[in-house]
Amino acid sequence: MVRARAKARPATAAGAARPASPARGNGVLDLTVRIGSLTLANPVLTASGTYGYGDEYAHVQDPSRLGAIVTKTVTLEPRAGNPPTRIAETAGGMLNTIGLENVGLARFVAEKLPALRRMHAVVIASIGGETPRELERLLAALGGDPAIAAFEVNFSCPNVAKGGARYWAVPARLERTLKLLRARTRRPLIAKLSPDVLSVGDLARACEAGGADAVTAVNTFVGLAVDLAHGGSKLSRLTGGLSGPAIKPLALARCHEAARAVTIPVLGSGGIMNGRDALEFIACGAQAVQVGTASFIRPTAAFEVLEQIETHLREMGARSLDQVRGRFGADATRSVDGRTATTHTRAAASPSRRVSARTS
Amino acid sequence: MSQTRAEWRQVTARVASQREHGFGHYWLDLEVPEEFGTPEPGQFVQILLDAGSCLLPRPMSVAGVKSGKRKTLGFLYAPVGIGTRALAALGQGEELSALGPLGRGFPLERPGTPVLVAGGRGVAPLLFAASRLGALGRKAEFVFGARDRRHLVAAEDAATTIKRLGGRLHLCTDDGSRGTRGTVLDVLARIAPEGACAIHACGPHAMLKAVARWAMARGIEAWLAMESVMACGTGVCRGCPMPRSERGRQAFSPGAPSLLGNREFAMCCTEGPVFEARELDWERIH
Repeated sequence: MVRARAKARPATAAGAARPASPARGNGVLDLTVRIGSLTLANPVLTASGTYGYGDEYAHVQDPSRLGAIVTKTVTLEPRAGNPPTRIAETAGGMLNTIGLENVGLARFVAEKLPALRRMHAVVIASIGGETPRELERLLAALGGDPAIAAFEVNFSCPNVAKGGARYWAVPARLERTLKLLRARTRRPLIAKLSPDVLSVGDLARACEAGGADAVTAVNTFVGLAVDLAHGGSKLSRLTGGLSGPAIKPLALARCHEAARAVTIPVLGSGGIMNGRDALEFIACGAQAVQVGTASFIRPTAAFEVLEQIETHLREMGARSLDQVRGRFGADATRSVDGRTATTHTRAAASPSRRVSARTS
Repeated sequence: MSQTRAEWRQVTARVASQREHGFGHYWLDLEVPEEFGTPEPGQFVQILLDAGSCLLPRPMSVAGVKSGKRKTLGFLYAPVGIGTRALAALGQGEELSALGPLGRGFPLERPGTPVLVAGGRGVAPLLFAASRLGALGRKAEFVFGARDRRHLVAAEDAATTIKRLGGRLHLCTDDGSRGTRGTVLDVLARIAPEGACAIHACGPHAMLKAVARWAMARGIEAWLAMESVMACGTGVCRGCPMPRSERGRQAFSPGAPSLLGNREFAMCCTEGPVFEARELDWERIH
C-alpha cells in the first residue's frame, strides 16, 4: 500500500530531491526523528513494559541501535504487581494484567541507571504515579539524570486500582499535571495515552497545552477473556490490557486522531509486528513507533522492524520517512469527534510535516 | 542449576522426527544448532510456530537431549490447544523457532536418594532427569501415577530408562488399571527411603500441591516443576508470577536480580519453573 501511494503522489519538496532512479539498497537513509530537544537516530523504540529496563536483552542485540529504549514504568515505591493469572492469549492478541510491577525508584536509581549508562542506548524512562504529586517527586529525583534522555509518563495503565488509565483520562488533569512536571525537567516529556476514551485527540491537545513534547498513542485496550469452565475471567483482575496484532487497526485510528489534533510528535504504538505495520503508523502521522508485544515473541523484533523499514524505504527509493509520513489527505482531516484538524499550524511547527500539509 | 543471567538463544530449529507416542500423545525430536545451549532436566524451551495458528510461543519442557552428530531435543506433548495442535501437524524437515534453554531445572545434585514423581504427561522432564541420573551413575526411585493406564504416557520409556540406571519404577493409577491402585502419595508413603531423599516432581498442580504438602509435613525436600501461562519466557513481561510463602518472602534477597521476581512473587519462567515446596504459598496456587 505504501509503495503504491508513493508512486501516485504529486512531486513535493522531498519527492523532488529523490533521485530519478533510486539506488536501491545503496542510498543513505535519514531516519532521524526529533522529540522536543532530543534527536533519535531512527524511529523505532521499544514500548514500556515489554523490554524490561533495557539491559535484559542486551546479550541478544545492542539496544543502542534502536531509536530509544523505553523502560518498564517505575513508581516511587516498588510494586509487586497483580496476582496470577496475569496473561491470557486471545485471537491475534494477548491480555495482560501485570499491574505495574517494578523495582521502585530507589533500586531503579541504584541499580538500573548505572547499567543503562553502560549500554550507551538512548533511554526514555517511563514513570507512573497515582497522583500528580507522585509524578513530580519522581521527576525531582530523576529529572536531571544524564542516563535518561527523556521521560514517558504512563497516564494509561489499565491494570491498577488507583492512578490508572481512567484517573488520567481527564484533559484538565493531564494539562495541569504536565505543567507541574514541565517545571521539574528540561528533558522531553512524552505522555502515553489510553485508547479507551471518548477522544484521544482531546487528551493529546491537553498534553500539548500542558507542555508535553510528544504523546504516545496508544497503550493497551481494556479487554476481558472468559473462562467458561470456571465461570469467570481468565485473569485475576477481571480485565486486562489487550495488545498485539488484534489492536493494530484500532490503534492506527487513534494514532491518526492524535496526530491530527496536535503539532507535537506522536509516537505510534499498538500491534506493530513488522516494518510495514510501523510504516502504517508513520503514514497515519506518527513520527516514531514503539514495538511491544512483538518483543515477547521475538526478542529481536524491534531490530527487525527497523531493518524492514529501511528495506521498504530503499525499495520505494525514499531517502527519509517524510515520503511516508502523514500521507492522509483532506478526507481524513476531520477527526472522529468532529473537530477539524489544524494542519497549517502543524506544518509550520514541524518541517517534516510539510508533506502532509501539501497533500491535505 | 540456577540461571540468573540469560544464556538463551532464539534459533531456527528443524523437526527431525515426530511420532505418535501412545494415547494421543506425540514425541517430537527437534534439531537445534550447536550454539543452542544444552538444556538441563526441568528447563524449558519456547516453541514458536508460524503466525496464523497462535500468537505467543508455547513453553515446553524438554524430555530428552541427544548430542550426537546433531544436537536434538525431545518433547513429549498432547495436542490439546491451538498451539500444540499446530505443532502436531508439522512434518519432518519443517522449521520452527525455538528460544531457550530457559528457567531453572531440577537440582539433581541434592544429597540423598532422588525420588522422581510424575503425573500423567508431566513425566516428560522426569524421563530426562532419569537418564541424567543414569549418566551420573546414581540410583533413583521413579513414581509414575495417572488417572488410568491410558494416561501413563511413555511408561515403557520410563521403565527402560529406570532399568538402565538400576532404579525402581512404581506405577500407580487411580482406577487400578495398571500398577497399584491409588495416588503417587500412597506410593511415596510406601517407598520413601529411610535416609535422606529429594523429591523431583512434575504433573498437574493438584498433584504437585499434594506432594509439596506431604513432603513439607515430613521435612523432605521436594522440587516441583510448575506450569504457568507465559508470554516471553525470559522474565521481561512479568506474566507468570508464583506467590511466595512467608518463608519464601523472608528468604528473598532484596538484591536478587529483578528478572527473577520480587518479594511477593517469583517468576515461573526465570526463578522457576522448578521450585522447592517451601518457597511457594500453596494456598494461592491453583
